[in-house]
Amino acid sequence: MKGEPVPHEREAAGVLEAIYDEHVVPIYRFIHARVGNRPDAEDLTAQVFMRAVEQLDTSRDHNQVTAWLYRVSQNLIADYWRALYRLPVIGTEQVAPGWEPAAPPGRSAALAEATQDTAADRVRSLLRSLPERYAQVLELRFLQRLSVAETASRMGVSNGNAKVIQYRALRMAALLDESDD
Amino acid sequence: MTDDREPRVPDEERAEAGAERFGRYLDALLAGARPSPDDIGSPDEAEMAHVAAEMAAAADRAGSTPDPAFVDQLRRRIRDADQGMTSVTEPLPIRPVVSDTSVARMRVTRRQVLQTGLGAAAGLAAGVLGAGLLRGEPTPRDPIWDDGIGLVAGEGAWVPVATLAELPRGAAVPFSTAAFNGYVVNDDGEIRALSSVCTHMGCTLQYRPEWRDLRCPCHAASFNLAGKLANSRAAWQAAGGYGGDDQAYPIELPPLIRPAVKVEGEQILVWTARA
Repeated sequence: MKGEPVPHEREAAGVLEAIYDEHVVPIYRFIHARVGNRPDAEDLTAQVFMRAVEQLDTSRDHNQVTAWLYRVSQNLIADYWRALYRLPVIGTEQVAPGWEPAAPPGRSAALAEATQDTAADRVRSLLRSLPERYAQVLELRFLQRLSVAETASRMGVSNGNAKVIQYRALRMAALLDESDD
Repeated sequence: MTDDREPRVPDEERAEAGAERFGRYLDALLAGARPSPDDIGSPDEAEMAHVAAEMAAAADRAGSTPDPAFVDQLRRRIRDADQGMTSVTEPLPIRPVVSDTSVARMRVTRRQVLQTGLGAAAGLAAGVLGAGLLRGEPTPRDPIWDDGIGLVAGEGAWVPVATLAELPRGAAVPFSTAAFNGYVVNDDGEIRALSSVCTHMGCTLQYRPEWRDLRCPCHAASFNLAGKLANSRAAWQAAGGYGGDDQAYPIELPPLIRPAVKVEGEQILVWTARA
């Protein structure tokens, strides 16, 4: 035995990697859907799994491990918005030291897909509820990914005007989004 | 009748400046780059940024798939960290504060067994499991840990690691045994052995005579000669700083493992596993 980790411990190390391989894609998607850009999604995904190395009890059953990962992800996303944009705390709970069962069980890749669909639906319904000009500017910018200059020329306004319109469109979208929640 | 060419009202100018600045946030976001928080000027705009981020993600299915290179790289990082060999440049992971009373129970975790090193792993686990059998044998003057649990069960041996002449007050001498590495220290006349494995990620601690501490080269944890974390936030606040550092060590850590030590004549011996 001397000079080798005891067998149980060596297995545990492999368990963590198996958990990673199973969850990294859905967790990344879950986070990306909420921060909207790749660099931040990668940073937060790395933080989730580095925290798992430190804190996750890998002997828990599958659903509990999955729930733990989503819970940590949710907390990190809440921290991200709060810290980056100095937002007030919005109903975020701290991960308890050790283990906290709560959180929805059985989330998986299917959920990440569902999240994506729900998000796309929400965008569509948001656009439908906006005045035409606002819906149009967001459609061109977000769905067609046109630049401000291209958007301005499609809409027949100046660049400065297009920026003001997209600003107001998002402000109204944020208000509508808030009242939805 | 208003004149169209009259100077624009300040409100409108402010709105344009805001739209211009927030436009930079959107440009970065929609280009798939990391947007700058400096382009967010108010809580309202933060809400707008939040909606924009969710809309951008919903409209970008391709972006929701992680880069395979990122996935591979993170897998390697996790494997390394899991083996207690995290790189020195890694940011500190956050760990919940461990209260003193729960330390003994938590001592031998998967992580710590891995961290303590290959040779020590079996001995360490055996030491805790076999604690009941070991009380009184060996019988060091100094407790092995604060609660007197033996570090090595069964095939242990007293091994000389230094002489008294090498260890004046305030000195520390590194030693290496089959089961673990550490320092014997002379803490104002009291001889003590301390593991040199940092209880955070398993890096090797170095003695700093000027501060009389064992310092971790990875994340700058400092342990005093009693084996306790010396630059924790609490200690930092109580002492108004520590060791010329510009900030406290951000998390609590369990104390260092204290192998049994005794003095026979001029020899200082520690209780360790047989090679």
